[in-house]
Amino acid sequence: MITIIKYTFKEMLKKRAFLLVSILSLLYLSIYAFGLSRIFEHPSNSIYDIIFQSQILSAGLFFANFIVAFLVVLTSVNAISGEIESGTIYSILSKPIKRYELVLGKFIGLSIMIVLYSSIMFLSVVGLNIWFGSKISFGWDNILKGLFFFDLGPIVFLALIIASSSIFSTINTGIIAIMAYGIALVGGVLEQIGTAMQQSQVGAFGLKSGESLINAGIITSLILPTDVIYRKMTAELLTQSSGISFMTQGLFGGMSQPSIYMFIYIFFYVVFLLYYGAKRFSQRDL
Amino acid sequence: MVLEAQNLTKQFNGKGGFKEVTLSVEKGQVFGFLGPNGAGKSTFVKTMVGLLHPTSGFAWILEKPIGTVESREKVGFLPENFRYHDWMTGKELLSFHAELYKIKNPGKKIDELLELVKLKGHENKLIKNYSKGMQQRIGIAIALLNDPEIVFLDEPTSALDPVGRIEVREIIKQLKSQGKTVFLNSHLLSEVEMVCDEVAIINHGRIIAEGKLEELLKEHTHVEMIVSDYTTELIEKISHLSKEFQFKEGKLSFKVEDKEKIPLIAKMVIEAGAKLYQLNTQTSSLEDLFINLIGKDEMS
Repeated sequence: MITIIKYTFKEMLKKRAFLLVSILSLLYLSIYAFGLSRIFEHPSNSIYDIIFQSQILSAGLFFANFIVAFLVVLTSVNAISGEIESGTIYSILSKPIKRYELVLGKFIGLSIMIVLYSSIMFLSVVGLNIWFGSKISFGWDNILKGLFFFDLGPIVFLALIIASSSIFSTINTGIIAIMAYGIALVGGVLEQIGTAMQQSQVGAFGLKSGESLINAGIITSLILPTDVIYRKMTAELLTQSSGISFMTQGLFGGMSQPSIYMFIYIFFYVVFLLYYGAKRFSQRDL
Repeated sequence: MVLEAQNLTKQFNGKGGFKEVTLSVEKGQVFGFLGPNGAGKSTFVKTMVGLLHPTSGFAWILEKPIGTVESREKVGFLPENFRYHDWMTGKELLSFHAELYKIKNPGKKIDELLELVKLKGHENKLIKNYSKGMQQRIGIAIALLNDPEIVFLDEPTSALDPVGRIEVREIIKQLKSQGKTVFLNSHLLSEVEMVCDEVAIINHGRIIAEGKLEELLKEHTHVEMIVSDYTTELIEKISHLSKEFQFKEGKLSFKVEDKEKIPLIAKMVIEAGAKLYQLNTQTSSLEDLFINLIGKDEMS
């Protein structure tokens, strides 16, 4: 399996998609840095400024997260199915290796690369905010916890793609990945709106509608829990040691935090997807 | 036995593939597996190396049930539609496959194989810059990396020029001299005839003939005789001993299944007091045999 991990990692580095996303990321970080340099030109200490700065940070992380998801799709959508479609799989699986080793090897190899990339993106966005004089005081624990959840989302997304790529064709996996990510994103927004409606006490009708939206969000989180992990990330990053949280504000933050049960679900979600993908792949005729 | 299959069947939704194949291959043999396109040759090989799951029946490689990791430990395989990771160089590709076989320090073996398949000097080129023939050569090198006991070569010369074909034939002979077993899938009958000890012919997924190549060809020796002063009784006796018998004005033309019948027939002619002016024998080529058997199978 170590061989598969090693060569998967190597292959990703040599892929044109990786180069493309890297250039895109540099471009994004440059534009973001330019924006920050203008925003922080006239610093002040008002609470509104701090809230605004938290929004700028959240927006930066939201789009960085989006680029990482883009990289996950581009580099892993054909991880297994591409090997089958091109015929390279014949010379690999006729060797004395088990099929699950290929699935897990691909997952781990891609995970290492994605975690590295995702961490660079996260630390760059947070680092740029600190560099330009953001008034949000981050503790190391905020940054490390935020980093953990920022990296976790793409890994969960990768598990879905690898499982799908082990069972379906590259095109079908691409459709599944994009649809699932879109549904999770929309579901997350609906859940936020639902929570806002409940919190703003818009009457019995509003409360009921809010609850329906929250339920819709929970269901989409079960399909692909990336949005829920993203919200946990913003909560961990922006909740101060004093207990004051800036995460409850705005479009890119989150009004509700996922429960511990959701994270237990996420753990089993990843394990199940990899197990099921490997099992179905082992039963496939190639 | 290096390879054994008992009533092995692989079908796709009840169609295609192969049915109830029973065959065994002894150590050190070059075994030719022949058949027209779509007969089930590649499906059989892919089933043996664990890429396809059999529908029913059993098979073993080196006494290990197929589909298990152990059964593939001493196996080399060159797929028909060979494709390799084109982002690697030739040397990287061989190192990758050596690692999959868990070969420690494969450097020397890689150099030897590059030399054997005539790719020395091209090892640092990317696979995507290799010609089809070069890719087939590196595929053969990959199949031999683990010093296999049995090598499955599925159409190993399909992309090679005549010189390359001769070189592959030499590699096969070399493997045989080292006591290795080669399972050769091919529809290039002349090639099979030159290197194989035993063959099996498959059509519509079923084995229609199997045995030592020499024996199979011996079954189809064509004989022509010119005789005079013969009796009707003599001609009748010869016709009973042969197949496809034809007789016209002292000229006899027939086929015998066993070459030993030829001196017997000559003796009969002499003992019957007839004069034997000419006796020509012509052993069928594998191509004749193949076309004959496939034709008969299609008719039935």
